[in-house]
Amino acid sequence: MLTLCFFLLGVLLIVLETTLLHSFPSWLGRPDFIYILVAYTSYRFAWIPGLLLVFSLGWIMDVLSGIDLGIYPLEVLLVFISLKAMTTNNPLRESTYQIPLVGLSYFIVQLVRYILYLFTEPELLPEWSWGKLFAETGILLVATIPCFILLNALGEFLQKRKPQPRPLKRRT
Amino acid sequence: MIGDRFGVVHQMTLDVVSPLQKAVTKAFGGFSDFSRDYIDLWSVRAENKRLRLLVDKYMNELGEYREAYRTYLHLQNLLEFKEKQEFNLLSARVIGKDPAYWFQTILVDRGKADDIEPGMVVLTPQGVVGQVIHVSEHYAKVLLANAPSSAIDAMVQKRRARGILKGAGEKGFVLNYVLKKTDVAEGDHIVTAGIGGVFAAGIPLGTVSAVREKERGMFLEIEVQPAVDFQKLEYVFIDPTDRQKILREMNLTVE
Repeated sequence: MLTLCFFLLGVLLIVLETTLLHSFPSWLGRPDFIYILVAYTSYRFAWIPGLLLVFSLGWIMDVLSGIDLGIYPLEVLLVFISLKAMTTNNPLRESTYQIPLVGLSYFIVQLVRYILYLFTEPELLPEWSWGKLFAETGILLVATIPCFILLNALGEFLQKRKPQPRPLKRRT
Repeated sequence: MIGDRFGVVHQMTLDVVSPLQKAVTKAFGGFSDFSRDYIDLWSVRAENKRLRLLVDKYMNELGEYREAYRTYLHLQNLLEFKEKQEFNLLSARVIGKDPAYWFQTILVDRGKADDIEPGMVVLTPQGVVGQVIHVSEHYAKVLLANAPSSAIDAMVQKRRARGILKGAGEKGFVLNYVLKKTDVAEGDHIVTAGIGGVFAAGIPLGTVSAVREKERGMFLEIEVQPAVDFQKLEYVFIDPTDRQKILREMNLTVE
């Protein structure tokens, strides 16, 4: 139920990102909400449902906007696995580190993606800009705080609504 | 006492009483004016409110009419462009855009059901938009011409000098492989060269915005401002000619 709800939320976010977000003025920033959701999933979901959720959302993104199919699901899976591995049984699991970690991982992912393209398909690369990368990361960090609050609230709400197993009646 | 003589006593009485009358009349008149003005003010205020609402309503309507007029002009422009073309172009609505900062693709509401195939050319009256890369039954994904992976055979229209137009994201295009000896200036129009068979010749691509001559190398560095505003795409046209298929059937390769 929880995974399904977050999947539907992810689909809604993808639709908003690919349609409405473009009509907002660029100075407002266009944070990558799907990346935020992927990071949130890695912190809060177990391995199997998390992997399923992240892969399916990455796959939809790939279908809607990918040029070389398969890159996006692979990227989100790697982000999920890295964040999950880093935060499981580790002090980084604490919420103090979670938001900075989202920003840091986003920064690294962009950098790694650029370097990979540089060695494999340099003709696909647009001009590199540190300023833009820092700006994108900053916008993502700012957007992560309210998003995590909302996602937490939604997660708790859904957990509370989870049907509890009925206690067995004793035979008299 | 009885008669029509208006004597001194009468006059004195009148002179005494009349100022009182005058005062009372004036006072009452003032009050009456004040009350009337006050009541009028209320009605004016109400009227003002009503008129303000009316103005707001008309301003809204005016905005809608302006938008409708602009849409009408835009659609008329598209229709004229479509009628000018030799082949029947297929109009399509842009329904989605790549959310990344380096936005490179758009989604349109035409697909296999409308005989759309990968490789088909997408245009607007302003010029080349890109090429279809992925197709489903009812939708297609278009790789924009300003994507870094896009390369189009182009030429400087006035000088007939050919080169390869590469996408440069937000910067527009860069025209490569134009020899230094070529006379290219800012404002020159760049059009498709028609080589390679994908794009027909002469479709507008943009205008030269900067020309730089490097010390090394034999080519110029030319920046090109796209003719199409990729951020504002709403409707596009797809050329249904499957040039790739034609070329395959003619045993020619497509770049």
